[in-house]
Amino acid sequence: MTVVAKVWIDEDCITCDACQDICPEVFEVNDESSQILAAVRVDGKFDRNVGGSPLSGTLGADLGDIILEAAEACPVEVIKFELVTEGGEETVVAAEAPVEATTESIAAVPAAGASEALTAVLGGDRALNILFGSQTGNAAGLAEKTAKMAANYGLEAKVVDMEGLDPVKLASMKRVMIITSTWGEGEMPDNADAMWTSINANGPALANTHFTICAIGDSSYDEFCKAGHDWNGKLASLGGHEAFPIKECDVDFEPPWQEWVVEALPLLACVDDSGTLQVELLEEMKAYGSDDDDDIVEGDFAPGILAQEDINITLEIFRYCPEASESGWDTLACAVPGHATVQDLLITMQREVDGSLAFRRGSSAGTPTTGVRVNGRVVLADLAMVGDLAQEGGRVRIEPLPGHPVVRDLIVDTGRFESHRSRAEPWMRTDPREGQTLPSGAAMGTVDSAVATALHQAGDVLSFQLIQAMSDTLAHDTHYEGPGVHFQQWLRILDPRTGESQRRSMLNSLQEKDGVWSETDHASLIRQGEDGRLAARSLNEARSALLNQSRYSGKSGRLVKWYGRSVKWTGNVNETTLYRQVLGPLGLVSNVFSGVSARMALAFTRNGSPPLRGLQGLLFPPSGVGRIPKMFNSKVDEYHEVVSLFNEIDQRF
Amino acid sequence: MAKMAYYPGNVARAGAFEVEDTIQPMCRALNIQLIELPRASSDGGNVIKQATPKLQDALVARNLALAEEKGLDIITACASSHAIMCNTIDDMKRDPVYANTINNLIARTSSLEFKGESRSHHLLHYLVEHVGLDAVRDAVKNPLNMKVAAYYGPDMQRQGACGRDDPFMPNYMEQLIIALGGTPVDYDSKCASVGSTSMLTLEDSSLAMTAAVLSDAIQSGADLVVSACTVSHINLDSYQSKAGRQSGKNTTVPVCHMTELIAFALGYFPDRFAQLKTRVRLIGS
Repeated sequence: MTVVAKVWIDEDCITCDACQDICPEVFEVNDESSQILAAVRVDGKFDRNVGGSPLSGTLGADLGDIILEAAEACPVEVIKFELVTEGGEETVVAAEAPVEATTESIAAVPAAGASEALTAVLGGDRALNILFGSQTGNAAGLAEKTAKMAANYGLEAKVVDMEGLDPVKLASMKRVMIITSTWGEGEMPDNADAMWTSINANGPALANTHFTICAIGDSSYDEFCKAGHDWNGKLASLGGHEAFPIKECDVDFEPPWQEWVVEALPLLACVDDSGTLQVELLEEMKAYGSDDDDDIVEGDFAPGILAQEDINITLEIFRYCPEASESGWDTLACAVPGHATVQDLLITMQREVDGSLAFRRGSSAGTPTTGVRVNGRVVLADLAMVGDLAQEGGRVRIEPLPGHPVVRDLIVDTGRFESHRSRAEPWMRTDPREGQTLPSGAAMGTVDSAVATALHQAGDVLSFQLIQAMSDTLAHDTHYEGPGVHFQQWLRILDPRTGESQRRSMLNSLQEKDGVWSETDHASLIRQGEDGRLAARSLNEARSALLNQSRYSGKSGRLVKWYGRSVKWTGNVNETTLYRQVLGPLGLVSNVFSGVSARMALAFTRNGSPPLRGLQGLLFPPSGVGRIPKMFNSKVDEYHEVVSLFNEIDQRF
Repeated sequence: MAKMAYYPGNVARAGAFEVEDTIQPMCRALNIQLIELPRASSDGGNVIKQATPKLQDALVARNLALAEEKGLDIITACASSHAIMCNTIDDMKRDPVYANTINNLIARTSSLEFKGESRSHHLLHYLVEHVGLDAVRDAVKNPLNMKVAAYYGPDMQRQGACGRDDPFMPNYMEQLIIALGGTPVDYDSKCASVGSTSMLTLEDSSLAMTAAVLSDAIQSGADLVVSACTVSHINLDSYQSKAGRQSGKNTTVPVCHMTELIAFALGYFPDRFAQLKTRVRLIGS
């Protein structure tokens, strides 16, 4: 279990909401930056927590893993945190550069029967420096894993961010592992750039340094793993000793990294106190590293994924090249395991067929930003399984998430959603409740557990971006803010901690022209499954509340009012009344001139049904004001039962 | 002959008489006896729901209870009505307390109870799954001989409301078109919404959505669009020209109801079928 002592947000947050989606208990994103919620902090403030106020109570333990998940998902890596070690000491991870994270210091205790030579090596200086050059966090993640494994060999590993590291310090390091990605066309990742420039200008002599490199890259690029090779050549040219050959890792980097780390770690562990590599101890060191006296419960603790049979599919992937403004489809017949996710398919496609395929990756646990449309369904690529989307011999058609402009292939620009969300301000601004305040004196809203549970259930969806993409209307109305935004606003309105002025402001916003009435058809949401159903239900609740507030004004209000009255008085819907009352006389005239009325009345398009019957619908007594006319369509039998139903449930009609 | 309680929906006996004209003979020809529910009311059309979901559910439950009283399932030719009935049945099944509330209301006002035994069927699903396409094929007198694009709409294309058809890549109507002697045309927008419930309040969006569906069908080579939803048909047909002018897209294509197409192929209303064929020829594909 991970225990986080404190968490804070660096500058340059892009307000993408990923952290809030993953861990809303800690993070809340406003229009400037992600913030750390007051409720989880000892100082009770609501800001980025650059002062480093610790997490209160047991929250660091309760939410540790999910905070780390949010940090890993942050595309610009501005979420910083400190971990608590078992001894209670705080360990800085991903903090200000250079970052040095020390794994638990484990005294190297030679196993019984170990040779004197091994005992001597293990008794000396055991420092290992693991440097990472990382653009997206992959290399940093591998460095963390490597550090944990190093303890098995009695090594005291430090994870070091290359950002700001003085290369002169390398000369004093006996054991160095570098894990670096390559960015762009063979460039150093941003955090290694300065150090690379510095070491080229003034490189130290590395006669006592043993090193090995793990290079991450993408073989679809010409300069595959160039940054790693550059470091390898540079350290060797400065007199460093290459303890283990450089390992190249392609986009599926974990397996080759695993091969590298199990060989390189015991080798570096054989470097003694004087800086000499005692290769003859390698086999004994490996045995020492694999020796573990602890009783370990064996078994498969992986999440329960039911392996499914391979199915044969025709895979179709949408492609778009912005440079050439060309789009099309890649089609491939293949057999895949039914339990493979859509993301697995895309990764395999990228690795084995076309390295230029662009898509957003997730953590395989339902990452909110990995949305795509597969066979018409709006899904998260790292969660949806192929077997649930297609049958044997079927088609798997993968398209970008609808409702957003396409940047490249399956990557969409969610800027419109973000800007609508930013304007809608669905984040919390609390009001004091019964005098409740935080220790800092700031206002604090309160919510009891039953309401909190209901709120959680009402908004328990995978991703608001997916909800946004479910709307069929959004693509045809560029001003419409969208159901994903309005759903969040409504949930905030329901929250009793929300301040009254914010509640009023958001209700007004929902009622405005591009608000909650702009969705033409909730059916497009409901059909997408439980998340869409939840969203549609909430949006309908919002409409009910707004009808009460606005007293059925506007076109939407009039439609509901007159539809209801029409049904109440006859049991049937009277279209003439609706057209007359909702559109008004001018609207009716507009329909006459636009040809709509003619098409309705003259039955030209009705394949020869008698025109008079169509005319009846328009010409029989025009609706009066305030009193429904006698209709040519008759009342249903026992229509008083319908009237009673209305009177029992809703007497507003 | 199978007996089914008939629910016409909100427009079949108001603005879309052609559905009422054609569903009766075609059902007789396919051995389906439609039983009237004279006390059945409007289902609220997802409009009343916006004010009071409970009221819409009570109206729907009352209609279902009327069918249940006769020991019958309901059949309808309107996708929207079918989806509304399925939604109410789902909501009552999910929440027995809510179901009890609704039943108390219809018991007090109409002396009825909906036990959940009667189900709703859309005509399309009933024909494919219960009548069988072979029986339909055998009854055809005038094969369609046209390229037909099927429009399903989004309402009933969800799990639990579309029979055993795929909610997102349906093909029941395409199978039916083949059985009727036509050639189905596949196109992406067949389940997209045309905003039918909002045509009076959000005309611009609804027209744009309507134009997108029609132009997609036309580009795929359709001579004719057939709609499984009587409400959406208003957008696709009556608002067709207006949608075309607003969007600048080609939207000119004959549109007919599913019941019309079946009735024509089964030999009913040959004069209307002839008129439709003439329009197809005049407009072209």
